[in-house]
Amino acid sequence: MDESTLRKWDFAAGFYDLLACGPERRWAPEKRKLFANMHGKVLFVAVGTGQDIRFFPPGRDIVGIDISPRMLAKAGPRAANYAGLLDLQVMDVHQLEFPDHSFDQVVTSCTFCSVPDPVAGLAALRRMLKKGGMLYMFEHTGSHVFPFNLMLDVMTPIWRPIGPEMNRDTVANVEKAGYEIRQVNNIYLDVVKTIIAASPA
Amino acid sequence: MERRFYFLAGDVLSNALVGIASAWLATVIVDPSWHMYAAMLAGMAAGMGLALALLPLFVGLFGAMEVMLPVMLTAMTAGMLFGMEGVMHWLSTPGELLGGGMIGLLVLLLTYGVDAGMRGRNA
Repeated sequence: MDESTLRKWDFAAGFYDLLACGPERRWAPEKRKLFANMHGKVLFVAVGTGQDIRFFPPGRDIVGIDISPRMLAKAGPRAANYAGLLDLQVMDVHQLEFPDHSFDQVVTSCTFCSVPDPVAGLAALRRMLKKGGMLYMFEHTGSHVFPFNLMLDVMTPIWRPIGPEMNRDTVANVEKAGYEIRQVNNIYLDVVKTIIAASPA
Repeated sequence: MERRFYFLAGDVLSNALVGIASAWLATVIVDPSWHMYAAMLAGMAAGMGLALALLPLFVGLFGAMEVMLPVMLTAMTAGMLFGMEGVMHWLSTPGELLGGGMIGLLVLLLTYGVDAGMRGRNA
């Protein structure tokens, strides 16, 4: 278990819901649309305080993981209200404890801005996917457009101690981890986006 | 472009307020005896520092990147320009505050324009 990441997100659990209120409301329609793709056995990575659970379509079979026990303690009541199967487990994406090829889909939401080694984390998730399994991501990334790229570079070291990295090239990381990109859709500038990729069959 | 009134109003409010506050702070901290470049840098740093302090409030209310990016750009631009103004003193205080607010709205409009060009496009 990555202790520094665990401590950071355990600490953030205290104020996370206050800060996430605006973004979750703003992104609600796009998240609902992306999560409507959930089918089969789904692994949801970094469930946090469970803010995303209200966007899950009902009746799905989902395992949600997070590195932070304090985050998951807050997610518990939201998970209990989900109209489907939702099992929450404390787990580090770098040390997954599931058998290989045990999920049809992996879904992430603002996750790979925070995973310490994103390519290794994405590769570990690919091993969890069945052949041809799908990866659905809602992520914020770095920008290729000036001056937004400059701003994100400036803000990354300021924000890093208590939150996510702001300037990662997550689409490139998905490709480096061995996935086939199917679709990248810009939600806000080229910074907030949905990424749909497949594990090679 | 954002079309929901609550978020549109939030974007306008946060950028206008940060523009006004950055312009005010830059003109307050810069002395007319300063070198122009030093005044611009100090104004920019002060504006961005102020915006960082206000960001948790605006993010919690109105959104993450959609708020952070224009607000930080507003703070940087207003701080830099009104740092310069602190040396030259072309404007009265109400003129400086109005100018800061206008910069906030202009930055927001430019960001909306760039976003409209990129939204939905496959990267």
